[in-house]
Parts: sequence; C-alpha cells; structure tokens
Amino acid sequence: MNISKFLTLAAAGLIAGAAASDALAQTPKKGGTLTYTYQPEPTAISTLATTAVPVALISTKIYDGLLEYAGAAMEPKPGLAESWTVSPDNLSYTFKLRQGVKWHDGKSFTSADVKFSIEVLALNYHSRGKTYFGNVTAIETPDANTVIIKLKEAVPYFLKAFQPSETPMMPKHGFSEQEIAEKKVRQAKIMLEPIGTGPFKLKEWKKGSHIILERNADYWKPGQPYLDQLVLRILPDGAARAIAVEKGEVDLAPMTALPPAEIQRLGKLPNLVSSQAGSEGLGPIMWLEVNLRDKPLSDLAVRQAISMAIDRDKLVNVIWYGMGKSARGPIVSGNPNHFNKALPKYEYSPVKANKLLDDAGYKRGADGVRFKLTQNFLPYGEEWVRQAEYVKQELGKIGIQVEIESLDMGGWLKKVFTDWTYQLTSDFHHNYSDPTIGVQRAFISTNIQKGATFSNSMGYNNPKVDELLKKAATLPDGPDRKKIWDDVQKIMHDELPVIFLIEMGYTHIWNKRVKGLIVNGISMYSNWDSVWIE
Amino acid sequence: MRGLSTLWMRFRRNRGAVAGAVTLGLVVAAALVGPLLYPVDPFDMVGQPAQPPSASFLLGTDVAGRDILAGILNGARISLLIGVLASLAATVVGVAFGALAGYYGGWVDDVLMRVTEFFLTIPSFVLAVVVVAIFQPSVVTVTAAIAVVSWPSVARLARGEFIAQRGRDYVQGCRAIGMPDWEIILLQIMPNALPPVIVVSSLMVATAILTESGLSFLGLGDPNLVSWGYMIGVARTVLRTSWWMSAIPGAMILVTVLAINLVGEGLNDALNPKLRKR
Amino acid sequence: MRQASLLFLVRRLLQIVPVVLAIVALNFFLLRMAPGDVADILAGQMGHATAEFTQQLRQEFGLDRPLYQQFFIYMGKLLTFDLGVSHLQQTPVIVLILDRLPATLILMLTSVVLAVALGVVLGVAAARREGTIADSLISVLALVVYATPAFWLGLMLIVLFSIKLDILPSGGMIQIGAGLKGAAYALDVAWHLILPAATLALFYVAIYTRLMRASMLEVYGLDFIVTARAKGLSETAIAWTHALRNALLPVVTLAGVQFGHLLGGSILVETVFGWPGLGRLVFDALLQRDLNLLLGILFVSSAVVVSANLVVDLIYGLLDPRIVHK
Repeated sequence: MNISKFLTLAAAGLIAGAAASDALAQTPKKGGTLTYTYQPEPTAISTLATTAVPVALISTKIYDGLLEYAGAAMEPKPGLAESWTVSPDNLSYTFKLRQGVKWHDGKSFTSADVKFSIEVLALNYHSRGKTYFGNVTAIETPDANTVIIKLKEAVPYFLKAFQPSETPMMPKHGFSEQEIAEKKVRQAKIMLEPIGTGPFKLKEWKKGSHIILERNADYWKPGQPYLDQLVLRILPDGAARAIAVEKGEVDLAPMTALPPAEIQRLGKLPNLVSSQAGSEGLGPIMWLEVNLRDKPLSDLAVRQAISMAIDRDKLVNVIWYGMGKSARGPIVSGNPNHFNKALPKYEYSPVKANKLLDDAGYKRGADGVRFKLTQNFLPYGEEWVRQAEYVKQELGKIGIQVEIESLDMGGWLKKVFTDWTYQLTSDFHHNYSDPTIGVQRAFISTNIQKGATFSNSMGYNNPKVDELLKKAATLPDGPDRKKIWDDVQKIMHDELPVIFLIEMGYTHIWNKRVKGLIVNGISMYSNWDSVWIE
Repeated sequence: MRGLSTLWMRFRRNRGAVAGAVTLGLVVAAALVGPLLYPVDPFDMVGQPAQPPSASFLLGTDVAGRDILAGILNGARISLLIGVLASLAATVVGVAFGALAGYYGGWVDDVLMRVTEFFLTIPSFVLAVVVVAIFQPSVVTVTAAIAVVSWPSVARLARGEFIAQRGRDYVQGCRAIGMPDWEIILLQIMPNALPPVIVVSSLMVATAILTESGLSFLGLGDPNLVSWGYMIGVARTVLRTSWWMSAIPGAMILVTVLAINLVGEGLNDALNPKLRKR
Repeated sequence: MRQASLLFLVRRLLQIVPVVLAIVALNFFLLRMAPGDVADILAGQMGHATAEFTQQLRQEFGLDRPLYQQFFIYMGKLLTFDLGVSHLQQTPVIVLILDRLPATLILMLTSVVLAVALGVVLGVAAARREGTIADSLISVLALVVYATPAFWLGLMLIVLFSIKLDILPSGGMIQIGAGLKGAAYALDVAWHLILPAATLALFYVAIYTRLMRASMLEVYGLDFIVTARAKGLSETAIAWTHALRNALLPVVTLAGVQFGHLLGGSILVETVFGWPGLGRLVFDALLQRDLNLLLGILFVSSAVVVSANLVVDLIYGLLDPRIVHK
C-alpha cells in the first residue's frame, strides 16, 4: 500500500464521515449538556486499567487517539497526527503531529508522549497492546512533532490501532518513574484524575451517582466541542434508566445501557431515536461455545444437530426483543470489508436434528434421553439466562438433556477459560475493525492456552484454518486477503467450532434533540467533539 | 389420641389459624397435584411473550412467552420444598446446639453460644448471598444457606428450654438411676422442650420462603427450576408495561407466608396454652 | 455511675472485637474458596487477555502469595484500620465506602425511625382498643405486611406511585443535573427517600406493632398502672407516659437487632430502587471477587452495628435506670 492510496483513502473517509453524520446537515449549535447513562459504573477513567465498555465510553472523550476514523469501515483520518506516510514495504510509518496541542494541564503534547503511550503503556498494560504493537522494532522521535514506528513484519490493520479506546494518548509526565519501574501504572493518580488532549475534561466524579466532564476550552479543533458538559448518570436499575430516557432526564443510552425489553418499548416513542448503526466496527457476535474435547461434542453430527435444534430467529425476536440477526459465521454481516456474503442461513429443523442423532447412533434411552450435557451462560444479565433456558428446552426436544449451571463472572471465567470443564456456554466476541484482531484469537490453535480469556477455549484445532489465519495476518487488505477470510468463514460455517447464534444488535437510544452522534463504526467510543444539542 | 384432640380443639378456636390451615392446604395441594393436572412445562415457550391473563393463558405469559400458571404451580413446589427443608435442617442443627449447650452448661455452653452469637452478628441475608454465590446456586446450596442463617435462633430457644428443664426432678431422677446423658437429652427432656421449638420452626418455614424468594430475585436460585422469587425477577424487566407479571408470583408468596404464620400462631396457642393467657 | 457505664462500654467492645475479626476472617476464606479472583475478572473485562497478563495482574495485587500470608498481611493492615485498595476500581476501599455510607445510613436511620414511630403508635392504639374492630384491623394489617416480601412490595409501590400515579420518583437518590444546593437538595433527597425507606420500614412496622401491642397489654396489667388509674389519671395520660416508657424496652432491643439486619435487607431494596448505598456495593463486590472491598464493607458495617447496639444499650439505660446499676 503506498502513500497516495492512503491519502485517497483518508480523503474518502472524510467524505463518508461527512455523509454519515447528520451534524453537517444543519448548523451545529454550541452549548448544552448531554447526559448519558450506562451500567455498570466505570471502574477507572482509562482503558489501560481495563477496556470494559463503561470505561471505554467515558475515557475516549478525555483521551484522544493519534488518529480519527470515519465511516462504518473505520477509515483512518487525521487527528492528533495531521498526516502520515507509509513506506512501500509497509514496515515504516511516519506520523507528523499537529502543533500547538495542549494537555488538559497546559503542557504541550509531543512525540515523546506518543512513544511513551505506545512503548510503555499500550504494550504493557493494554489487553490488545501486544496484538497491535508486538511487531514494533523501534519508535523514533527525531523531533517533537515526528514519530517513526518501525515494524518487523507488515500488519494489515496497523493504522486501526490508533483509536482512542485502543491506544489512548497519555502524558508521559502523568506517571512517576517509580510507578513505571514498579509496574504500579494502574495505581497512578492520573487513572482517577485524568489528563488528556481530548475535547472534554473531568470535572467531578461522585461514585455511585454521576461523572461530569466539562468542555476543554483549549481543544485543538477551533469552536469544538459543541457541548459544554457531558454527564454520565449512574442508575443501577434498568427500568429506572429507561424511565430517565423516556422522561428526557437522560439524552442517550448507548449500546447495552438498557434492558432489551425497554429498548423495544422506547424505540416506538416519538421523542426518541433508536438505531443499530454506529457499531459496525465492533461487530458483536454471539455463539454457543462447545467444548470440543468432550466426547459427544467432538462429533460434527452432534454439533449440527444442536445447531438445527435452535430457532435463531425466535431467539432474536423473543429473547432479544428483535435486537440482532441470526448469525451465519464468525464475522457479522454488517462488516463491510470482510463478511462472506455467500454464506447461507443456518437451517432450523428439529426433525432433521433428531434424524442426524439417530443416524449417528445416539439412541434415546427409556426416558427419551440420548445423552446429558451441562450448560453455562455468560453472566451479563437476564437475557443470557433466558437464552440458556430456551436452549435447554430445545435440546431437550431432540433428546439431549441439559443441566444449567449458574456461575458468576469469576466462576464462569475460570470454568470456561482456565479449567476447560464446561460443555456448553453462551459467549460473545467483538469482531473489532479487523478480523485478525477480533476473530483469529478465538479459533487459531496457538490460542489454546489455559487462562487466556476469550480465546480458543473450545480446543479447536484445524491446521488448514491456522494456515489461512496466519497468511491473512500479514497480507494487506485487498482481494487476496478477502478470499482467505471468505474461505475461513466457509470452513467455520460448516465445521461449527462453536454454534454461531446471533449477530447482536447494539441499539443506541437517544433523544431527538441530540445530533451528530453516529460518525463511524464505533461511534460510542468516538470523542463526541461534533455532537450537539438542538 | 386425647392429647391430639385437645390440641385440635385449641387450634380450632383460633379462626385465623383455621383459615391459614385451609389456605396452606390449598397451596400444598396445588404444589403436589397442580403440575400433574396442568402438565405444561414452565420453561416451554408456548405463546407470544407478555400476554395478559386470558382464556388461553389463565395467568398470561412471561417475557419469554412461557405459561405463568405453569410457573406458579411448579414454583409452589420449589418454594415449599426449600422452605420446609431449610427449616428442618435449621431446627435439627439449632436443637442440637441448644440441647448440648443447655444441658451441659459450663464451657460447652460458652463455646457453643459464642459460635451462635457469631452467626447472629453477621447480617444474615448477606451471609446467605455470599454462601450461595460462592458455592453456585442450586436447591442444595440455597437450602443450606438459609439453614445456616436460621439455626441460631432455634439454638437460643432450645438452650433456654433445656436450662429450664435440666434442674427438674424427673431429670435428677434419671441421673440418679444412671441413665446415659444422650438418653436423658433425647428421650426425657426433648419431648418437653420441643413444643415452643415446633412453633418457631413452623414460623421459620415462612421466613425461609421469603429468603428464598429474595435470593432467586437476585438471580441466586437454582437455574433449572422455577420458583416464585425467580418469576418476580424475570418479570421485573417489564415492570412498566406488564406489572401483573410480577404481581402474581408476589401475591402467591404473600398468601403462602401469611397462611404459614397464621398456622404457626394457632400451633402456639394449641401447644403453649399458658402463653395465651397474657 | 459514669464509671460504671464506661466499664460497661469497654467490656462490650472487648466482647465484640473478636466477633468482628472472626466475621472478616470467615469471609476472607469463604471468598477465597470461590472460583476465580479479581485478576480473572479484570482480564475478563478486557476481552482477550493472555494467561501471562492475568498472572501479571495477580503479582501486582499480591494474589500470587500463599493464602496464609495474604491473610496475615490483610489482618495486619486491618488492625491499623487500613482497609487496602479495591483492585477492580484502583481506589482505596475506605474512599469507596465513605462515598456510599451516607446514603446507606440515611436510608437505614429513616427506616428505623419510621418503623419504630409507626409501630409504637399503631401498637399503642391497638392495645388501648383491645378487642375492637380497630384492634383487629391493625393486627390483620400487621400480619399481612409481615408476610410480604420487601423487594416485591417495593416493586408494587413503584407501580402504584411512580408508574400509575406518577407522583414519586422510581429510583435514585437525587435528581441528577438539577444542581440543587442546601435545603432544596435535602428536600430532593427526602423526596427520593420516601419509597425505599417505606419499603424497608414496613416489615418492621409490622413487627413493632405486634410487639408493642403485646408489651402494652402486659404493662396494663401491672400494679402501678392500676394505682395510676385509681389516682384518676386519664387513660391517654396513662398510655403515653406510664405505660409507654415501660412497654418500650423490648422495642428498643429489637431496633438494635433491626439495624444489624438492615444491610442485608438493603441489598434487595437498593437493587429495586437504585439507591447508591452499601448494600448494592457489597453484592457487586462479591460477584466481582473484589475481596478487599467486600471485607472492608463487612468490617465497617459490623462496626456500625456494634455502635448501634451500644446506642441501644444507652437508651435502655435512660428508659430503665436499673440496668446500669446492675
């Protein structure tokens, strides 16, 4: 990929961004407060501490990334770096930083901060740091406004790494040498009293109640942000959150902030907008994870039967209140660059499922049971329990007796990812902006590692898939890479390393007076500098 | 036989107790034969979700289109089962502690009562939540957790009774003829100490049902079984649109607990007639 | 007499300290028996994390040491009133607790006061009219409320007062963003307090009513009341001065017990009403294996219960001067 191509892409991204954003259709108004709600409360204000959703939602408004992104495909565009060039071999990236950018404490933002944020912070403390920067051999800072990053091997998604949630720019002077040496970065004062370059600054955090961010008057974009304040209101009860949105006390409920039942109800109200757009870059996909080490589950016929016994449409419509779509493979169909459109829908047919099991020799006993399985569920809330109950019922009808075990997060993580003693469990992953980041981790055999969370806990080991995944990890985006990912999706669709269930639809709900929210594929993790209130 | 009929005579005089007994009888009958007469699986998606009560679904359907009537009938089993089992377990442990402490006194009493006091100081619902969350929710852990937080009050009561009885003549007499301690405790004192304990443990069934419903409401119930508290938890997400969905199972808990309390009071009148005079 | 009370206080404290420490110890080991620790939770929150990453967290938090060492380190710190840091929130536990403690105390105190006041009034009223319709009505009501699951009552109150009538807020402690100060703020909190406090109180109202009624009837039978009647004092005067003071003793005892149990009850009520107190925090800390936070809350709440019991003892002394002399 050469320089000119990137510049074209960047320009295209700008246009796409402009088209996607309704902010530019009208003249933005300055001032006002945007109140949003999310549960649980964030535990820190930096994604270095944890990349959990509530933390990413708030920290991205305070800490900018090096680049900005536009459109569902998350095309990079200038941000803190006003331009960049890539060497022809894709092994060297040179970023020119914008001049005159100030941290919230008034100090200047320089190349040393960029180097520090990547080398010391992201690489060591961000859970995806090694995925993005594992290939970095050197970071050079010839002057205060230039950063050169050298790579060992080409990384197709390298420019996707500079999103605010993935590699937040943090000030070198915000950490003491002792904190870095003793690896006490997570305990640093800055984690609770953030200093960023973003459009908003922390004003007040009243635990259990609210967080108030205020406008950064020295933000580098002239006239922006439009909002004076951004308030996170913490309401532990789902119904209370919904009422607050309905009554206009809260302007926005992003992602999974509301119980699906309430989203369905609120979506019909005239003063509110409900939208599943703006999450394409996250691509949440949910599946029934199967332990392939266990006897009946290692049999493809059994997995096919399980897949056929579950009515995905009913699951979406009843349990998830219509939020989402039936899945067809490991990548969500909304992914504009990587989804294999040739994949068929999974068939729902308990009759065929029964026949498959009969033919495979799993005879029903006197009580109608062929064999027994245990099922866990991701402890994320009511719908996950309802889904487990539904799966249990449907599998019961084809002679598989399922016993549900209810574990809290600690127990679930240990059982699924450390002990590998589960048999079935619901689970969901984000595709992120590139499948090598979001998809590969769950299916490559080198990720069969005890204790690695959200990894290949099934024990799925297909040398063909491994080879394809490795190849895709270094090829630049284009027809060749697309072909490889198409093949991977086809194999997984048929082989069912997990029972793919639902492309989850994050449904954001906001008050009509809020404008300019949806700007790219991860809009809720954008910095909201162009959001305004009518 | 004469004893029993006097008891019944005394019990019958308390109209509330009789009403409670009848109601409780109905609930028990519903729990025993209900699921047989109305054989709908409470976890089966049988219709559109969140339907109000109608001819096809007498009590409506829940958020996942499951028959609420089926849930109520099956839930009666679980709520009563856990209530009774937990109360029994607590009574056995409590009486054992109380009997030993009360009969022997001295350092045995000191040690056992320190332990009892310790359990009385921990906020009981918090302890139940901790135990169930850590040992994974199931009928066994929920029952055990409720028993763990309920036995100390029985222990105190039983200890008091044993202290009162141990000095009586008949106990002295038993000792004099060399009867072993266990025989004195189990066969001689126990029958006399038991009536007030029976009243307390019957009332404890009610408390246990309430505790179980609270645990299930928090999602700490057995995931393979329907209980009333679980049904309230399920319905809570749609409280605004379908309030009756939470109202029905809650009303069932109220009626059942009320009935048990009334019966308990009737038992108290019948078994401890002296107390009534006050 | 002052010296006697002081001695009494010291003795009570000496009795209670081992109990509090034992509670903390029990929960320390209980929680370590649970599968998964706070490092697992953090790694889980971050999406994909390697086993080394999780292990690194464990080292950072000192969770890789032998259990007994962790225990002694924790207990050692506790004796200097150092509650440690919540590893999940990267904040000193004491800060998190002090953030939530006021909300919990307001809720608890209001509901105790409400319960005692209502219970006493109703109980006295019923006792004075023993055998009348009013008496039966109060007794039946008390029985019904006593049988109602509090969290469900809370939900039904929300349905009635917030959804149907729309006159009271359904959750939260303040109207956020209103930026109220001073009296307006206090009024706002009070407004939000009505439903959760009522929910938490009603169960105890039932208990106090029954207790008070029984205890009043008992006192009515005593000699000094008969004497007072003979002296020609009015029934009202007798009820509210002579009888009440004596009948109140068991109620005061129970109020201390109630205070101790409120933290448990408030888990449910705080969940229902989104009240930002300790009850909810203790539940979340448990599910997230935030050991330091959980133990810290139990420690502090035990301390609160102990102080409440001491206050009860003092009130007891005021009501019945004989107690102290004993």
